Amino acid sequence: MISLTINEKEVTLDKPVTVLEAAKQAGIKIPTLCHHDLLKPWSGCRLCVVEVERMPRLQTACTLMAADGMVIKTESEAISNVRRGILEFLLINHPLDCPYCDKAGECELQDLVNKYGPTVGRYKEEKRKVPESHKDQIIARNTERCVMCTRCVRMCNDVQGASAISIIGRGNHSRMEPFSSESFDCEYCGNCLTVCPVGAILSRLYIHSFRPWQVDKEVGTICSYCGVGCSLVVQVRDDSIKRVIPKLGFGLNKGLLCSRGRFGYEYVNSPDRLKTPLVRKNGKLEESTWSEALSIIADKLTEIKGTSGGSAIAGIASPRCSNEDNYVLQKFMRVTCGSNNIDSLSRTGFAAAQKYFEDLLGQGITANIIDGIKNSEVVLVIGGDPTAVNPILGLSIREAARRGASIIVLGHAKGLEKFKTVQVVPPLFKEAEVLEALLVELFRAKGVRAELPFIDKEMRELSEKAAEKMDLPGFDELMKALLNSASTSIVLGMDLIQRTNGHRSLFGVAGITYLLEARLYLLSERPNEQGLIDAGCVPDMLPGGRPMNIPDFKSKFEAAWNGPIPDDDGLTLFEIIEGIKNRNIKALYVMGENPVFNLPGGPFLKDIFGNLDLLVVQDIFLTETAEIADVVLPALGWAEKSGTYTNLERRIQLQKQAVKTSRGMEDWRILSEISGRMGQKMGYLETDDIMREMAKVSPLYADLTYDEIGKGDCLWPYHGKPLRGEMNEVPPVVDAEKDYKADFYLAPEKLLFHSGTLSRKSPALMKICPEPTLKMSAASAGKLGLKEGDRVQFSTTAGSSEAPVSIDESIKDNRVFLSNNFQGSGVMDLLSFSIDEVTKAFGIEGCEVEIKKHGIKA
Amino acid sequence: MFGETVLKEIDEIRVKYPDRRSALLPSLYIAQREFGWLSQEAMQCVAKALNLSESIVRGTASFYSMFKHKPVGRHLIQLCTNVSCMILGAERLVDFLGNKYGLQPDGTTEDGRLSLVVMECIGACGTAPAMLINTDFYDNLSEKRIEEILEKYK
Ligand code: SF4
Ligand code: SF4
Ligand code: SF4
Ligand code: FES
Ligand code: FES
Repeated sequence: MISLTINEKEVTLDKPVTVLEAAKQAGIKIPTLCHHDLLKPWSGCRLCVVEVERMPRLQTACTLMAADGMVIKTESEAISNVRRGILEFLLINHPLDCPYCDKAGECELQDLVNKYGPTVGRYKEEKRKVPESHKDQIIARNTERCVMCTRCVRMCNDVQGASAISIIGRGNHSRMEPFSSESFDCEYCGNCLTVCPVGAILSRLYIHSFRPWQVDKEVGTICSYCGVGCSLVVQVRDDSIKRVIPKLGFGLNKGLLCSRGRFGYEYVNSPDRLKTPLVRKNGKLEESTWSEALSIIADKLTEIKGTSGGSAIAGIASPRCSNEDNYVLQKFMRVTCGSNNIDSLSRTGFAAAQKYFEDLLGQGITANIIDGIKNSEVVLVIGGDPTAVNPILGLSIREAARRGASIIVLGHAKGLEKFKTVQVVPPLFKEAEVLEALLVELFRAKGVRAELPFIDKEMRELSEKAAEKMDLPGFDELMKALLNSASTSIVLGMDLIQRTNGHRSLFGVAGITYLLEARLYLLSERPNEQGLIDAGCVPDMLPGGRPMNIPDFKSKFEAAWNGPIPDDDGLTLFEIIEGIKNRNIKALYVMGENPVFNLPGGPFLKDIFGNLDLLVVQDIFLTETAEIADVVLPALGWAEKSGTYTNLERRIQLQKQAVKTSRGMEDWRILSEISGRMGQKMGYLETDDIMREMAKVSPLYADLTYDEIGKGDCLWPYHGKPLRGEMNEVPPVVDAEKDYKADFYLAPEKLLFHSGTLSRKSPALMKICPEPTLKMSAASAGKLGLKEGDRVQFSTTAGSSEAPVSIDESIKDNRVFLSNNFQGSGVMDLLSFSIDEVTKAFGIEGCEVEIKKHGIKA
Repeated sequence: MFGETVLKEIDEIRVKYPDRRSALLPSLYIAQREFGWLSQEAMQCVAKALNLSESIVRGTASFYSMFKHKPVGRHLIQLCTNVSCMILGAERLVDFLGNKYGLQPDGTTEDGRLSLVVMECIGACGTAPAMLINTDFYDNLSEKRIEEILEKYK
């Protein structure tokens, strides 16, 4: 226990903190400028000076540790004189353009000068001139306003880990600049903007459009982009979003955001938003009314159900929609339409992996707190770049590296290039072999864990089959690190799952997780991939992950839902597609998803969707899939509706309405309207009604309420009971060993700045990253005689496209990467696929691609 | 792009330190030797060779005035004009260089032969005025002596 006196007030501390923090605990505010709660103390500005008895000089409160018996004064004439002096110096070169500066109203310098003076400047010399820089499309930089606190630089270096900006020059000529001195070319997280105390760096998304005190309301909600589910604050004026900012210490991201969360919100106001229902008449989509559109759907579904049975209807759920939306969709499919054919595009990654791991290791195996990564000794990163897919989770890995963890990358992860300890690059498309070899070695070293006999048996069999040790650079180092690690986190991206034998890699990862008792994290590209599984949008499980084939569960749900649920297991995504092809499925209901663009083989899908008697799409944009639909229904978007989302660590969070709009209807409301018209009333008036029902029927949500969720920390299973794993057979590998001998292979790339459907309608993200590029290693570019920026044409058996080349040092093999974000040039259209018989995800490996320089005739 | 030998040279420096940032200053000298000055490209090469961020490299380099931050002529004159040298006429020498060679402080002669940087004290106050040409040191300077010395730097 430490006790000290601050301004004659007794303060007792239970753990050692700085004087600044101690004063804060006692309700005493000490002025600061270079200090920020997200950053380490720096003691550069000297504004926080205090008098400490028996210490000769003034001390900086932000760095001085509080000690027992200290007697401290935080305000005195001497202190005020010093503060005034410092501020006078800071104003020497300041342009004093506060009336014009967008920071005014939330500027720390202005507030400090207001409190401590000086009221006039005595400086008569020329001020230093640094012209304002408008070279960056997102961040406006006005260095004359800078007070050299270096908060931005420390944020970028020590927290974000991008190290994109620094202080250039020295003395009077110091200024904050990005490397190019013009545009930032960085990760555009905007976290530097959060910490800048003055108007030296500002987001161009809102400058000159409002004053900080002119917001009507601030709504605390969560981001709409990825499975991390960061908390943020939406500032609204006149029912339009003025700014999105993080809130210090709030949510799991604790005041940090990534580019998508901070700058990607403008899509909700895109002029391309759907405004009215569209109905296909004489082959053309025409504007229609809600009542007409809903009746058409209800009549057609009733007819199909009557003639061909409910199993001729299928639904695709949305990882962009809330738990409530998805819950209502699966109920609509199961009870109203009489079909268990409900799945989502998460089947191609997250849901497939989740199911496999849970069957093997028990429900909730991936429910681990993101923050825990920071305290790992080893972080094993497999199958994707966490800093691009789930940026805020990626920051935890960078922080782990700073704390001394070994970061091991299997494959490649560009955002960890400066943080990795070891990188192991598996032979092309042989990741499963490497993981199995690793598992065998670990099993040999660690022995039987004897908790899950089935896995032990499988590992023994694998190790008996395995010949000698794998000879791969870095492999031994990787082994050693894993064996010596007392706490291991495994971060798994979706790349390895999207293989014809993806389940082999999954077994490898599951085995390593089991042997090392590691924490397993699944990267999740969409905000509610976990939620839609829990809500029951999988063909074989009811809400709460309860298997369909246990009659007790089923009858409980039938009673709650007032109707029978079909007995069969339902079809998974690709079985649905197969069914459409064979004309067994006659109606497809798509909610908030764009399969034609997001699945491999788009042209083929477009073609077979023509077989359908009814294709309904509800979305906020006229997507590639909506374009070919029979009925298109405008939904509400992020910030326009409320609902809960479940993030990748299974935290249930509330996304709140911030603005009102007349553009569309909530997804669940549309469904319940149609259901009513089909004779099955749902009776929900607001989302609360749905949550109340979910909390009643879903074993994972027992007694969950919005109030409870609003308080935060609602982690899965909320008062619920998880199930144990129950897989006892790993299907044989159907692999005809392939040699990958072609010159180049095409693979999908996940971009930091994009997410597809939403991000391509976000002007800011389109400015940061305006067009697709074909990424390749320097070696590949050399082989093709290409340099950065050269335009190339490339073709696969499925199609062809063109894009400029971009050289990426982190790529170490002969794959070339294209993203799936830009209209008309998604990588998925160029890939053909096979299906993993176990996970039912697609395999898209080994897609040979021919590349030639644009304009050169073959 | 650095060639193999330069990369090896930098690598040898790097392994001497526990933290690769410590190898930054010596590597910048190598880059300056290779490129003539610390151009963006030079700094990018250093960043790549040390796996450091480009911005950290530039931030560090820009702090030191003795690095060449812009292209200079074949020979760089660094002339001291601090107190001792000034008292003994260094400013006249600056004028002399201007009149005779068309060489201004921070400038380069039109033929690209000479560049001039005016320095703070280079520690030769006892034999002031003093200057460096590239890495060669000269003191007790006068107009005549400078003229003679410069004959060696074509
Ligand atoms: S936006 Fe992020 S990455 Fe870019 S300079 Fe600021 S902190 Fe660094
Ligand atoms: S730009 Fe802002 S945060 Fe960065 S050093 Fe200047 S005042 Fe501080
Ligand atoms: S990490 Fe994900 S949830 Fe967080 S701000 Fe970025 S996109 Fe949004
Ligand atoms: S806040 Fe303590 S020195 Fe700046
Ligand atoms: S003053 Fe010129 S060398 Fe010291």
